[in-house]
Amino acid sequence: MLASVASATLSGAVGRAVTVEVHVSNGLPGFTIVGLPDAAVRESRDRVRAAVLSSGVPWPLRRITINLAPSGVRKGGAGLDLPIAIGLLVAVGELGPDRTEGLAFCGELGLNGALRHVPGMIALADATSPLALVVPLCDAREAALVRAGVVHAAATLEELIGILRGQSEWPEMPAASAVTRAASVPDLSDVRGQAVGRRALEVAAAGRHHLLMIGPPGSGKTMLAERLAGLLPLLAPSDALTVTRIHSAAGCALPDGALLDRPPFRAPHHQASVVSLVGGGSWSLRPGEVSLATHGVLFLDELGEFPVAALEALRQPLEEGVIRVSRAGGTVTFPAAFLLVAAMNPCPCGEGVYEGACTCTPASRARYRRRLSAPLLDRFDLIVPLSRPDPDELLAGKAGERSAAVAARVATARARAAARRPGPESSQGVAPDAEALLASKLRSGDLSARGLHKVKRVARTVADLAGEDVVSFAHVSEALSLRAGRAVVA
Amino acid sequence: MTHAHLPEEAYAVALASAPSVGPATLRGLLASDPPSVAWARNRRELGGSVHEVARIWARHTELGISILLPGQPSWPERLAEDPQAPAVLFSLGDPSVLEKAPTVALVGTRAPTRYGIGVAAQLGADLSGAGVSVVSGLALGIDGAAHEGACGAGASPIGVVAGGLDDPYPRRHARLWERVAECGAIVSESPAGVRTEKWRFPVRNRLLAALSDVVVVVESRHHGGSRHTVDAAAARGIPVGAVPGSIRSATSEGPNALLADGAFPVCSAGDVLVALALEGAQVSVPAPARASSGPSRADPAPGTDLRVYEALSPDPASLDDLTRATGLDLSALCGALERLALAGLAIGVGGWWERV
Repeated sequence: MLASVASATLSGAVGRAVTVEVHVSNGLPGFTIVGLPDAAVRESRDRVRAAVLSSGVPWPLRRITINLAPSGVRKGGAGLDLPIAIGLLVAVGELGPDRTEGLAFCGELGLNGALRHVPGMIALADATSPLALVVPLCDAREAALVRAGVVHAAATLEELIGILRGQSEWPEMPAASAVTRAASVPDLSDVRGQAVGRRALEVAAAGRHHLLMIGPPGSGKTMLAERLAGLLPLLAPSDALTVTRIHSAAGCALPDGALLDRPPFRAPHHQASVVSLVGGGSWSLRPGEVSLATHGVLFLDELGEFPVAALEALRQPLEEGVIRVSRAGGTVTFPAAFLLVAAMNPCPCGEGVYEGACTCTPASRARYRRRLSAPLLDRFDLIVPLSRPDPDELLAGKAGERSAAVAARVATARARAAARRPGPESSQGVAPDAEALLASKLRSGDLSARGLHKVKRVARTVADLAGEDVVSFAHVSEALSLRAGRAVVA
Repeated sequence: MTHAHLPEEAYAVALASAPSVGPATLRGLLASDPPSVAWARNRRELGGSVHEVARIWARHTELGISILLPGQPSWPERLAEDPQAPAVLFSLGDPSVLEKAPTVALVGTRAPTRYGIGVAAQLGADLSGAGVSVVSGLALGIDGAAHEGACGAGASPIGVVAGGLDDPYPRRHARLWERVAECGAIVSESPAGVRTEKWRFPVRNRLLAALSDVVVVVESRHHGGSRHTVDAAAARGIPVGAVPGSIRSATSEGPNALLADGAFPVCSAGDVLVALALEGAQVSVPAPARASSGPSRADPAPGTDLRVYEALSPDPASLDDLTRATGLDLSALCGALERLALAGLAIGVGGWWERV
């Protein structure tokens, strides 16, 4: 009359173990679920009933009570359908209690008894450890990312009942299909001209420098930014798992249900709310865009149009690489180590990169620029002014260098930087004339102390890209040029 | 306490300070009567008391503001015959500088290019050095640059402002405001306590033109406020000059259009002195602006630097343009540009580079 089945539910980006207890007794026929279920869980009554009937098992006309333990924790999502159905079958004696021992179940049921996808399978698989996990066939590869060897899958409830009764064997796990994944990233060779913009992307990718592009409408800011992710190296296995975990928890579709090993590219619209950007929600804390962009690129187009609160909320992740989301229900820390790329017009009319062309009043320019606080601007190592491409070059110019060629240089530069012995930046070789140039910029007030530090870091990346140990005059000059846009917005 | 000792000026200030009295009304009130009589006749409508007059008067004296009335010896000669002369003029600093020297107005946009700022400052300094008072509106941009150049360079600068003299506007020019009042004068039609409102600027520009012997527009957009000054100058037969600029620059649209309309071109302070009919007279014509640019300059080193130097022009070019023109990679190009900048041969602002 009583059965208990292990499962898990998603809370934020982490899973929580849940025990589904089923009690079947005499009395008026009924079906109650207790233990802080959300709407999706409450509706599972109807799905479970239909799925059980569709699987050829009679529905018990008795009083059924489901308890989701621990009772004090809210449970959400349809992933509890399957454990409820299995528990019920055990409680009414359709399955022997020994059949579900050592197993945990997660899956949504269709009315026809099909097992359906559940978001956040990686986190759920973590939470059900060390039990073997039974999941829908479509989620098998995702769950196996973290629980390889102890994941079983089935396509329908009927099939699963057969297996648990010992009438058939577990089906084979689906193999990775040879899906081509590269096609989705646009290539840098589409960009004509824009020598400075292309170079800025390369330096940003090589040195993980946050990049702000300032240019009039039509100068290719968005086009350039979309191509940055293609210049970054593939993710290391541990980073790939972090990224996949976050995407899985947020319910994003994974390619072929497998590991995301390409750096993600996220481009939230400027009307995005603070919560959607940094993560949150009332009780089920969902990761936001900054976390979905972790180990990848967060692109904020029209930076000047974002709500000031949203921009200021980026300061913690930019500094610490994580975002702490606190709600009355608790605090969750999500990873948020992204490369920030932003684009904006220099002023409301858009033409202010070149001083004579702008038709804005000084007051409206000042108002536009006030939206970007100095602390936020300070996070950008590269502030690059862009101009519209030359029409001839746009129409007849030859295609630019391909992303793959640039990505190879980026990878070499990164390897070089990683091999350098760690130490303060200044202790490593900077040519005397380069030092003198920086000193003159500092003295003339063109560069602040913080700006000096940033220019030095960028110059080091430029030297790494050139394969040189000593930062030369030319490297510092280029780094200064890649920051020249500071004068446009400050 | 009796106020029998209050001077005529006190009543003029009180009338000007009444909220219901604008420049035109004031001119009407003071057209036939001396200020004390006009005040006595209208005191009921204005709601003022003698105490109030005394208080306003005391405030102006306290601030060091002098009051000029038509017909007095201190009243500027240039306004004597002016059809729209103000009825009262307020002045901070020495009002006699309005009469001392020939005057040239340097006016233009509040959002100029570096070219415009450079030219305005140079003209300001050169004209001032040649004994010409520079008149300007103390606004941001060209006005401010002209006075920055003129202050302390010789003749006394004259600022003409729209609001009360107790309220420096724009705030960013508070220091410049002090310096101009110190070595010259700031005049206004508005009594102390009047905020700088938009509608007062055309009125200010009219006064500015009326006080000048020549008006020069340095940089201005097509429909810029300098148009008011130019119109007022034309109405009074005051010669108008314009500084030619690039046909690609929006800020040179105004002066270039003026040149087409017959304004005389201003390429140096000397051109202005010719217009003032002062050339070769008691003042020395300063050397043209072009020859006087700071430290000695070396020629660009042959090779990359020379190639980059030759790709530069006096018009700003973006780095993209320069990479295309020189075929250099960005590091080499930027290195050459910075070397040229250190040698004083090039200058880069906000990613745009030009030849000096």
